[in-house]
Amino acid sequence: MIRFEAAGKRYTSLVTRRTVTALEDVTLEMRSGEVFGIAGPNGAGKSTLISLLMGFLSPTAGRVSIAGLPPRAYIESHGVGYLTELVNLPPHWHVPDALDRMARLAGVPPAERGARVTDVIGRLGLGEHVTKRIKQLSKGNLQRVGLAQAMLGDAELVVLDEPTHGLDPVWTQRFRTIVTELRRPERIVLIASHNLDELDSLADRVAILDHGHLQRIVDHATDSPATAAAWRVTFEGTVDVATLLPGATPVPGRGGSWRLVATRADVSRALAVLLGQGAVLVECVPEQGRLASAFREAVGE
Amino acid sequence: MTRDTSPFRYLAIHLKDVARTQVLLYAVVAFGLAFVSRKFMGDGVASGLDVADLLRSILGGTLMVAILMATGGVAGNDRKQGYYRAFFSKPMAPWSYYLQRWLVGLAAVLTIPLWLALAFQLLFGTGSHLTLELFASVALAYLVIGGAVLLFSTVTARDWLVVFLLYFMQRRMQEAQEMLTRMGQEVPRLVQVALTILPPFDQAAGVGTLPSGQTLWHVVLYGVAMVAAAVAVLIFRPLGSGGRA
Repeated sequence: MIRFEAAGKRYTSLVTRRTVTALEDVTLEMRSGEVFGIAGPNGAGKSTLISLLMGFLSPTAGRVSIAGLPPRAYIESHGVGYLTELVNLPPHWHVPDALDRMARLAGVPPAERGARVTDVIGRLGLGEHVTKRIKQLSKGNLQRVGLAQAMLGDAELVVLDEPTHGLDPVWTQRFRTIVTELRRPERIVLIASHNLDELDSLADRVAILDHGHLQRIVDHATDSPATAAAWRVTFEGTVDVATLLPGATPVPGRGGSWRLVATRADVSRALAVLLGQGAVLVECVPEQGRLASAFREAVGE
Repeated sequence: MTRDTSPFRYLAIHLKDVARTQVLLYAVVAFGLAFVSRKFMGDGVASGLDVADLLRSILGGTLMVAILMATGGVAGNDRKQGYYRAFFSKPMAPWSYYLQRWLVGLAAVLTIPLWLALAFQLLFGTGSHLTLELFASVALAYLVIGGAVLLFSTVTARDWLVVFLLYFMQRRMQEAQEMLTRMGQEVPRLVQVALTILPPFDQAAGVGTLPSGQTLWHVVLYGVAMVAAAVAVLIFRPLGSGGRA
């Protein structure tokens, strides 16, 4: 269990004594077994929140704990699988050497180290890059090395900061599979990302930060069925949706397309009636993900 | 997965890194300097000159640079480059990691007299001239100069430069104090205070001879205090300085 209790972080300039509040009064809990997302615009405080969690910064207010311990005490005894936003490893290291070093630090026993390194090289598709140095890797491949080193220690806390940054679409999809495989009852997976679709599909709950404040936590388990969202529904030919869902409006210039705001249950009921009357459905898509709607609402855009 | 919890599980990598860089360079430079000495002094070295003095002289002239090379950026570079984020997300305490790296640097610096002695033996055939006091004096210099670098390394990547400037300043003030004393003039209070506060580089830099009595204790305790202070900073001060830094 991770706890932020009224945690805050202010930076004070030594010279001018000017203070900047990066995070203020953040209270939240992350529970074992969940994939927790953190979303927010640039400068919202996501990186500061992760630095507090990793113990690389101390809070100037409140408290942060992991399994009841201060972050550094927890990490120095258990370790965390951590993918940094900008993967930083000494540039002259070769890829397998870098992973071997990280495996040693992660406490992988000597007898298992070679197999573990080979395993993550295979899972992350790094086989063709084993002769390269870190400095020779593309941004996407470097990101995969970062993810590989985060997976070495089999940690109970995995922190992924902008994990698909620089990944191509194929590896973005594979990353989603990897995160699904990382999910375990005793493990917390924390993902900070700008990509709301990614968080929408992977995370059980998502905290939305803006200007250093926790604006809202979107809980997919409780928010989903009852939350009204915007949908676009398109039929072949002319179908009158407005009689079943008052408020539905035809999309100008696109015959057969309607825009409506309704819960998932209401949309399903209306579609069942219309399809029963012989209407032919072309598409029914959420105009915006629930997380995207909540995000826009929370950050006031 | 069972975990290897030994705090020394990365020590072999530290040893390998230092052997491939510093130790190799020390060996090359030691042989190079011995070769140049042989070239310029010819057989005179073996017959008349004191080879032990020559060895001490070369060691004394290179030790400061060798120590700065062994310790420079020991922790500060990882902080500056951001490597610490990957390293210390693993179950490893920064103080233990950097203290081990610093001690490996000491072992590397202690190989310099060995390389020089080996080179002298091969080129001049004059015996090793190695004494316990010689190694102890090298270790003492490392404790004070290297200890200062380790301490500054916890806050800046230009640790070696800070220590070099302090060393230079301290030596010049020491010389000024000695000159004023010889001339029978009073040493300014500011210089006296500065010399009391600054690390005793002058006492620690005498290769081949150790200070005695209270001076030795002062130098040793000062060095140990700097290393202990560096460890305390690494334990209590978070490594980051900003959200992404």
